[in-house]
Amino acid sequence: MLPMFDGIDWLGVFFYILSAVIVVSALLVVFSKNIVHSVLWLVISFIAVAGIFITLNADFLALIQVMVYAGAICIMVVLGIMLIKRDDMNKTNMFNSQLYFGGAVALMVTFLTGFASYKINYSGNPPMVPENSVESIATLLLSKYVIPFEVVALLLTVTLVGAIYIAREVKADADS
Amino acid sequence: MLESIFIEIADIIRYWFLDLGTPELLTEIILMLIKLSAILGFIIVNALWLVYMERKVAAYIQSRIGPIHTGPKGLLQTAADILKLMGKEIILPDGINRIIFILMPILIFVPPLMTWAVIPFGRDMTAVDIDMGVFYILAVGSLSTIIFWAAGWASNNKYSLIGGMRVVAQMVSYELPLVLGLLGVVMISGSLNLNQIVIAQDNVWFIFTQPIAFLIYLIAGISETNRAPFDLVEGESEIIAGPYTEYSGMGFALFFLAEYANMMVVSAVCTVMFLGGWLAPFGMDFIPSWVWFFLKMYFIIFLFMWIRWTYPRMRVDHLMAFGWKVLVPLSLANIFVTGACIYIFRGIGW
Amino acid sequence: MQMDFSVIIPEIAMVSLGVLVLILGLILPKKSLPRLGWFTSFSLIGILALVVLNWNNVGTVSGGLYLIDQFSQFFKVIFLTAAILVVFGSMAYVDKHLGGQAEYYSILVFSTLGMMVMASANDFITMYLGLELMTISFIVLVCFRRNDSESLEAGMKYVLLAGISSAVLLYGLSLIYGIAGTVLVVEVGMILAVQQSLPLLLVGVVMLVAGLGFKIAAVPFHMWAPDVYQGAPTPITSFLAVGSKMASFAILIRIFVLGMFGVSLSWGILMAILAGVTIIIGNLVAIPQTNIKRLMAYSGIAQAGYILVGMVTASQAGVKAIMFYGFIYIFAVVGVFTAISYYYNLTGSDEIKDYAGLSQRSPLMAATMVVSMLTMAGIPPFAGFVGKFYLFMTVVENYLWLAIIGLIMSMVSVYYYLMVVLVMYRDRPQDSSPIVVSLPVRMTLIFTMLVSVVLGVYPGPLSEIINKAALSFFMH
Repeated sequence: MLPMFDGIDWLGVFFYILSAVIVVSALLVVFSKNIVHSVLWLVISFIAVAGIFITLNADFLALIQVMVYAGAICIMVVLGIMLIKRDDMNKTNMFNSQLYFGGAVALMVTFLTGFASYKINYSGNPPMVPENSVESIATLLLSKYVIPFEVVALLLTVTLVGAIYIAREVKADADS
Repeated sequence: MLESIFIEIADIIRYWFLDLGTPELLTEIILMLIKLSAILGFIIVNALWLVYMERKVAAYIQSRIGPIHTGPKGLLQTAADILKLMGKEIILPDGINRIIFILMPILIFVPPLMTWAVIPFGRDMTAVDIDMGVFYILAVGSLSTIIFWAAGWASNNKYSLIGGMRVVAQMVSYELPLVLGLLGVVMISGSLNLNQIVIAQDNVWFIFTQPIAFLIYLIAGISETNRAPFDLVEGESEIIAGPYTEYSGMGFALFFLAEYANMMVVSAVCTVMFLGGWLAPFGMDFIPSWVWFFLKMYFIIFLFMWIRWTYPRMRVDHLMAFGWKVLVPLSLANIFVTGACIYIFRGIGW
Repeated sequence: MQMDFSVIIPEIAMVSLGVLVLILGLILPKKSLPRLGWFTSFSLIGILALVVLNWNNVGTVSGGLYLIDQFSQFFKVIFLTAAILVVFGSMAYVDKHLGGQAEYYSILVFSTLGMMVMASANDFITMYLGLELMTISFIVLVCFRRNDSESLEAGMKYVLLAGISSAVLLYGLSLIYGIAGTVLVVEVGMILAVQQSLPLLLVGVVMLVAGLGFKIAAVPFHMWAPDVYQGAPTPITSFLAVGSKMASFAILIRIFVLGMFGVSLSWGILMAILAGVTIIIGNLVAIPQTNIKRLMAYSGIAQAGYILVGMVTASQAGVKAIMFYGFIYIFAVVGVFTAISYYYNLTGSDEIKDYAGLSQRSPLMAATMVVSMLTMAGIPPFAGFVGKFYLFMTVVENYLWLAIIGLIMSMVSVYYYLMVVLVMYRDRPQDSSPIVVSLPVRMTLIFTMLVSVVLGVYPGPLSEIINKAALSFFMH
């Protein structure tokens, strides 16, 4: 997307900056003591992921990422937080006794996956991203991927119906 | 001549920089920065003017005079207000979350500013012309919810928090019909690019082919900007000023101006999507395209003000019920009907 | 792109049925809602007939993303049969304890559809979405007793663990995709066949096994099963035990036996160990249980272990054994759970000691429970024996220890099943009034019992059909 300018691989520079933002903010999500701070860091992390998508020319995906994750998922988390009752906000994102064990396992999995991914050489050139990606995505979704697409539609219907049913007000005469 | 005045100014600046020997990429970056700062200036000047206009319109509707003393016809009233607010002490109450509290009034300007970058002001007058303009606006616009909420939460005040939660509930509920309403337009024009949507309205504006979508968008737009009759977020009689309760001085002023900036965004998008953007009606091409855009935008803004000062505030449960039980099904039905019509018209061969 | 929609008529019919039930629930008067159960069950029977009639109408849809072969047809028969039996068995329960018939039946239909999609999916995306459709439907169904905190707690646990397992599964799938560069299982199989065993592949395999292990409740990923089984409405428990498990096995087979056939050596031993541990833990922990639903949960874990045995060799015989056992397993589980839920309807208790003297109060219920439990334990002449025989035959050659563990633990399982039987037949009932079994429940009970007996004595024809279906699985 961006040309080589002054011999610097700008794409690479952006990648490393965004990755650093993602990693740092993701760590802060976990380690913030206040769960609201965690949510705000989560927003930053999501937006940085959208940035990575943009460097890959996947602008549709980037906007979806912003809209769905930063715009909607975080709001859901916020609504969830508001249902928690804690006197001290600094005790909302606590660790339990499994901290060291869990941390060790997480580190191990990270290094294992990282090492294994490093060893493999990803072959083949990915096909070029088409100029008008929305149109191509739309065509694909309604031709080749029509079944998964419809399954997603049903999935959302079921989720909606189920959520409404479970969360519906219990009327006095309904279940007696 | 007047039509392309801004484009020519941009060209002059560009060649001036190129003549100085600046590399091409750097020139483009500088030019982009100039464009964006011009937009920022545009937003702030307009927001100041809109506050004045709002007071005048309100006064007219309520058979009053409105501000008259500061400057000619009271024109400098808002400027004086802002100066006063700038001079005031910024109070940081006890128990607030300092960083978030101070950061949010500044961040609240980011989404409207980012949105303006893609809006076509006139023929060939878009700061950043991207293929997914509509989608971009919706995505960026959805970010302001969490900023409002964070401001309310950081204030450590129950009214602020209630206001913040109302923001979340209201904006999330009304974003759905907003998006679905715009979808009808996108289906007809077959593009997400704002310029192409404008060009697609060459023959007939989408307000005539998509009247229901227009109404849905207008209602949802009022709700998204938290204006009456959907201003529960800052309903003075219930929760002081919602998320802004604890803000004073410039912090409050920023929120206040951001509200008008958001209103401008909603009106501008409405203009582009439904009123033919910068296209001149009835072939009145002698008036430049950017003037037309401006006029149409101000018409929508006036509509908003008119509605605000005419209708009483809704109740929270009515608001939610209306959003989910009326607007969402209606917008879905609109999409369905639009799709069917497009199919039929294509079959006929239009 | 032109598509042959005739092969996915059953799926389309399922979608229509689910939506129709939902709409009917809105427009029908409240007092006729209970009839929706009959409507759903008969429609499901119709769709089952459609699948059976289209048995040989195989093919692919949407560029090979969706595969209809006899393997998937057979699994669809399993899911639909289970769904029909569950609907029959749950009518009384739903009317008495739940309400919301329209939502209940339509979500049940949708979860069955999710399983059908899983059985036919040939790519990771469709597979995952089918899995999610099924899982989310189940989450709703588990929470369906929304006034009961136990049910909501079970739902909450299921949400969390389903979320975690889905994340792990997705990560595993993405790693495999990274290696192969395609999401089509068949193509993944071809690419992996020529590649050596990469470390990243192993990481991916472990994650897939962990993610799917949650769904089939294999040890050590089984912790959720007892709590969720206990808290869920009983008919849903049986559907969860059968449908969810068999659907997860369908994609487990699809991914591993088809997609990773070339590297089967590296995951065969993993499966073998997993199966062994699951069989041992499931059976041993089942012994001290006092609640019948928890007992069935642990027995279900053990059953998952038995079925996993068929995966170990990645052979046609193994696939066939899994399919055969799965078919038998539905009838056994649904038989037991129908009796349990009907009994709960009357007495409001799930404790084993309250089953005292059931044989005198309702000989039919007691007999069905005995037959079903003995089937699960693998006692001849019931069908479970044949199923287990097929399963263990596949591993006798290379993994003899696994077969021996299976046999010993089957003996252990007889012990705790017979404990229940003992309570039903030996103890005196506190209230000796006879139980009148309602028509749909009676039909279900008799049918399941008959199948368990008949297939045990005469498994030949079914075995032949399954043989062919399993063969079709390897023909891609």
